[in-house]
Amino acid sequence: MFGAFRPSHVNLGGLLWKVPWKLSPTRKANARARLKKVDAVIEAVRASGVQCGSLTQALQLPKEHEMPARDKYTVFTPHARGYRKGIHKVPKWTRLTLRTNPKGF
Amino acid sequence: MSSAAHSEPSSTGSSPPMTHFKITLRRSAIGLGDRIKGTLVSLGIHRRHQTVYHSHGPEVAGKLLAVKELIDVENVPTELVKTKEQQTRDRRPPRGYQVVGNRRNEPLIA
Repeated sequence: MFGAFRPSHVNLGGLLWKVPWKLSPTRKANARARLKKVDAVIEAVRASGVQCGSLTQALQLPKEHEMPARDKYTVFTPHARGYRKGIHKVPKWTRLTLRTNPKGF
Repeated sequence: MSSAAHSEPSSTGSSPPMTHFKITLRRSAIGLGDRIKGTLVSLGIHRRHQTVYHSHGPEVAGKLLAVKELIDVENVPTELVKTKEQQTRDRRPPRGYQVVGNRRNEPLIA
């Protein structure tokens, strides 16, 4: 059980990265700040007066203050119990649009 | 709609009309795929914290919204549009001295 050659996750499997189950308050605050910056970009494009399809789509996204905490910090997954997982488990999640989830989930 | 009156293109006569997007890349597109990277190249951006200017138009707006997580956008009037050379010159620090005269061309006093 003890000693240099005890079986552990690292010994048995090599590399071990642990991803926390949920975001810390600091990471959540950073995520909110990023959402607000994206809102500012959409607002700037809207304020320019240009009309285009992608702007219509972008304006349909909920703004940071309109989103429930559930959507800010978790995403839909068909595999987990409760159909939700932490948004930080999505690869490249800080640079993707992950604002909406299937209705009812 | 009325909250962003300062950046509306058809605002009051005191402020000049906003004609250009000022676009700054804040976050890298590494690992996001060739389409996103190609969008940045087509905007003329090739490194982080680089600033480019594009006139308002639906094509540019669509590109900006495709990479909205990576950039900062401001609306600026035509006067504030700067070329790359002007931006470099603005970044340059002051020399720290001032040339007040040159003795080379003065007549010799014997």
